[in-house]
Amino acid sequence: MSGTNQFEPKIVAFVCNWCTYLGADLAGTARLEYPANVRIIRLPCTGRIDTNLVVKAFEIGADAVLVSGCHPGDCHYSAGNYHARRRWMLFRELLDVVGFDTRRLHFTWISAAEGRKFQQTIEEITDKTRALGPYRPYEAQAAPPPSNGAAVQRRAPEPDFAGVKQELRGAARRLLEEGKVKVVIGYGASGPVFITRPEDSDRLEWNENSLANLTVYLKRPEVRALGAAAVVVKGCDERALVVLEQESQFQRENLQVIGVACGGLGQPKCDACDTHQPRFADLTIASAAAQDAAPGDGRYAELERFLEKPREERLAYWTAEFDRCLKCYACRQICPLCYCERCLADKNRPQAIDTSPHRKGNFAWHLSRAMHLAGRCAGCDECTRGCPAGIDLRLLNLALARAAETQFGYRAGMDPAAEEIVGAYSLQDKEDFIR
Amino acid sequence: MQNPYKPDLMEIIGVRQHTADVKSVRLRFKDAERAKEFDFRVGQFGIFSAFGWGESTFNICSSSTWRDHIEFCFRKVGRVTDALWEAGEGDTLGFRGPYGNGYPMDEWRGKDLIFLGGGIAMPPIRCAIWYALENRADYGEITIVYGARTVGDLVYRDELEQWAGHPRVRVVQCVDPGGETPDWKGEIGFVPTVFERAQVAAGNAVALVIGPPIMIKNTIPVLERLGAKMSDVYTSLENRMKCGIGKCGRCNAGPAYVCKEGPVFTFENLRSMPMDY
Amino acid sequence: MSERISKNDLRQRAGEWIAAGKAVAGPVQVKPGTVLYAPLAAADALLLDGWIRPSNSIKEFIFPRHEALYGYRIDGAGITLDDLPAEIPEQIIVGAHPCDASALPILDKLFNWDSRDDFFNRRREATTVITIACTAHDEQCFCTSVGLSPAAERGSDALLVDSGDGNYEVRILSEKGAALFGAAVSGAAVDSIAPDGSALSPAPAAGAPERRFDPAAVAEFAKEHFEDPFWREHALACVGCGACAYTCPVCHCFDIVDEGNPRGGVRARNWDACQFALFTLHSSGHNPRPAQGARQRQRIYHKFFMYPEKFGETLCTGCGNCARNCPVGLGVLPLVSEICHAESV
Repeated sequence: MSGTNQFEPKIVAFVCNWCTYLGADLAGTARLEYPANVRIIRLPCTGRIDTNLVVKAFEIGADAVLVSGCHPGDCHYSAGNYHARRRWMLFRELLDVVGFDTRRLHFTWISAAEGRKFQQTIEEITDKTRALGPYRPYEAQAAPPPSNGAAVQRRAPEPDFAGVKQELRGAARRLLEEGKVKVVIGYGASGPVFITRPEDSDRLEWNENSLANLTVYLKRPEVRALGAAAVVVKGCDERALVVLEQESQFQRENLQVIGVACGGLGQPKCDACDTHQPRFADLTIASAAAQDAAPGDGRYAELERFLEKPREERLAYWTAEFDRCLKCYACRQICPLCYCERCLADKNRPQAIDTSPHRKGNFAWHLSRAMHLAGRCAGCDECTRGCPAGIDLRLLNLALARAAETQFGYRAGMDPAAEEIVGAYSLQDKEDFIR
Repeated sequence: MQNPYKPDLMEIIGVRQHTADVKSVRLRFKDAERAKEFDFRVGQFGIFSAFGWGESTFNICSSSTWRDHIEFCFRKVGRVTDALWEAGEGDTLGFRGPYGNGYPMDEWRGKDLIFLGGGIAMPPIRCAIWYALENRADYGEITIVYGARTVGDLVYRDELEQWAGHPRVRVVQCVDPGGETPDWKGEIGFVPTVFERAQVAAGNAVALVIGPPIMIKNTIPVLERLGAKMSDVYTSLENRMKCGIGKCGRCNAGPAYVCKEGPVFTFENLRSMPMDY
Repeated sequence: MSERISKNDLRQRAGEWIAAGKAVAGPVQVKPGTVLYAPLAAADALLLDGWIRPSNSIKEFIFPRHEALYGYRIDGAGITLDDLPAEIPEQIIVGAHPCDASALPILDKLFNWDSRDDFFNRRREATTVITIACTAHDEQCFCTSVGLSPAAERGSDALLVDSGDGNYEVRILSEKGAALFGAAVSGAAVDSIAPDGSALSPAPAAGAPERRFDPAAVAEFAKEHFEDPFWREHALACVGCGACAYTCPVCHCFDIVDEGNPRGGVRARNWDACQFALFTLHSSGHNPRPAQGARQRQRIYHKFFMYPEKFGETLCTGCGNCARNCPVGLGVLPLVSEICHAESV
């Protein structure tokens, strides 16, 4: 028994019913004592453990979290633990970028026969956490705003707009006159326009405000109701279309894709873009300034610079960012890949993610959303541009994009025939972080 | 400091299950002073809490002439009603109210009363029926036509029998075709059809019609044929609510907040309101 | 008599208020490219120029995004409701815009309609609003179309008007303003709306936005064209987020939630928005506003017809935040411009 003044860590263990839970049970029947610091939560399978449960554990005051299940090959449901493993690989990177202390998150495979391993694991985690001290990630000091610095200089947007505009208008007019489509979704003077009559094609524009990812409208019932559509996409937008096609969200033969190969529109994403050229469009209009950009490995430069900061600074940064979140869900609504008819955050049995715009609710939302987009986010950064509070969602997107590329060699939205990384698994997935 | 969002604590003194997913709950104020001073008009509603789960809006379906309790009736459909379903005698719930405009029972004095209800719409009618029966001399002929999809969906069945036993009260129960049981003694048919068959005189009547939109839509022409004016036909609207006091901006049906200018409206009112409910 | 204060002195005063432990907020560049009204940790963070207006409004200091209404505790003895500690700090907002300050008297009406919402009232009383008259506007500003102006005084405790020489002329408009500046009240806030709907307060020399539309015409359209396909067509671009409502100085819709565990927690209110698909969804599955067109209509209807009918105020101050923050460029002005276009055709 520890002294009354000593800190006693609270440890939450999410364990699978068939292996680790029985392993814990065996420890009990074999009279192997393990510290009472652990609270065990039993689930059918590690594959069922949503990452927002882990976040919730930290929200309610856990000092460490253990996630444990059957050894690979032994899953009661065949592959649940493989799915879980892949999810954890991505989740750890996300938590690391956000500045959570990953020393407090443990993963193990413990079988029903391994009562002793369960005992040893709990002892080890308890001792380690006691040494680390209490964990209060939600009480971090928010980083102060930077002193009034100038906005970052971006590569200037391309100058040649008139040519593309004329071609777009012509293409739209033709498609509507020929009755190939009922609506052309394109860029207008101040935002997206929905052209249903050939004579309105002159409302189409192409300029430095042609920023929206118009593929978002494929999920909107009001737009689908208009009938067969043509959509104008830039190279970056088209990647979302590839993911949507991989996920069976639309029929390719029912959609006319008008691609515009652009030279960049002055956004942060344009600097390292290597997907200027739409690859799967029915018609591609090239701007005279279109060209391929800097070499691909500039992609994560911003993230790499951020990761040079110590963990506490990272957490302070994200605390300041998420404290500004209003829960307006502009990030979700503007994202083509957030197309669930009812989002997890809008469900209340149970309320998996608190809807309140307080610190815990905001972290829960953004961490969940990032995980739901892991390996799917096409990097259009519309969420970042759309956020009225200026939250650096782009950096979160980069974190998981880099995890997908370094761990699995995968970039979302590049190959419609490729298998998506979440929802798939490999027997060779790296598990050096799992004991 | 005034906190209009803070509820009164209520003790459950009775729970009654009517159907597979409908219960009614009887409450009394825990605070005796509050119980003494509390009053309401039938037709008003309250916002009931299951603490930790949330609040939900229900009509107060008991008569205002009963001083010892209030009652509400609910269907188990979601997070809050799931929690209310688990509550039993002795448990504590919250109550905020009374809200809304209520039925103009004073204006209805001297009139015949026609009550038409479908399914779970009986509770908001029940309070008016009991009030009228408690003030029997003030009202004329009372006709109640109540129907549901199946026999198993009818609520307050024992009270329907009781009402039929009162002087100058006519009760007609019905179920949709196919919803009857072998021993069903009532009518078979939809409420509007059954009501028309009943040939009720509506010249000196006010009518309270509550039910699903399709039932209301088909009942109006029948009432008109029987001689009722739309300014004498009332309904109680529902809309999604949160605060109940006209501040959260959610429940407006066109220009009217259902929680403030409603929930009771005449059909003449409704005709001038846009379809926003 | 109004006073004068230099920009440096204003900043210094802000520093003194901060040092005295008061909660001071004002425009802050929270990161390059983003200016928000935010608490000031130090006076040099206060942004006095170089920006049209912050992306948010001051309403969050009086009507917070998340506010606990009371606590509840469940134990063997039953359920206890706890009034939460009345910690309403004295607040000073330095550098509000007239389109933000004028929102407060507009909201007063609703929050005191029949029942008093003292959460709102107490914070309002504890807040002193120092407004700086605008010297610039962009194409999204339209305060003059809703009866206001760049120097409107409604809702402000003091109005600072830039005299172009590094100084402001200070008009003390209330006792609170007088107390803060240590000067006499120079005149009650002038109601900026004349009976004919035109602005009363004088516009600064830099020029006010042109009047773009007549709110009464918008109200009439909303009322007469409730079922018009106009709403469906013009809402197609809307993706149904809450950016417009949350950055609007006068939007005030809210949700009430219980948060906690079986032993206790709070019942709180959070901002909500009529643009969300679930806003009016019944538990039966019926939704009176199932499509975005109906929801966009509700926004205009509420702001220009319903609120004026009930309270004699337009629920819009022409700040333009909705259009600036909308990810797809919609907002009150774009939509109302379409209405005017539709009406004139």
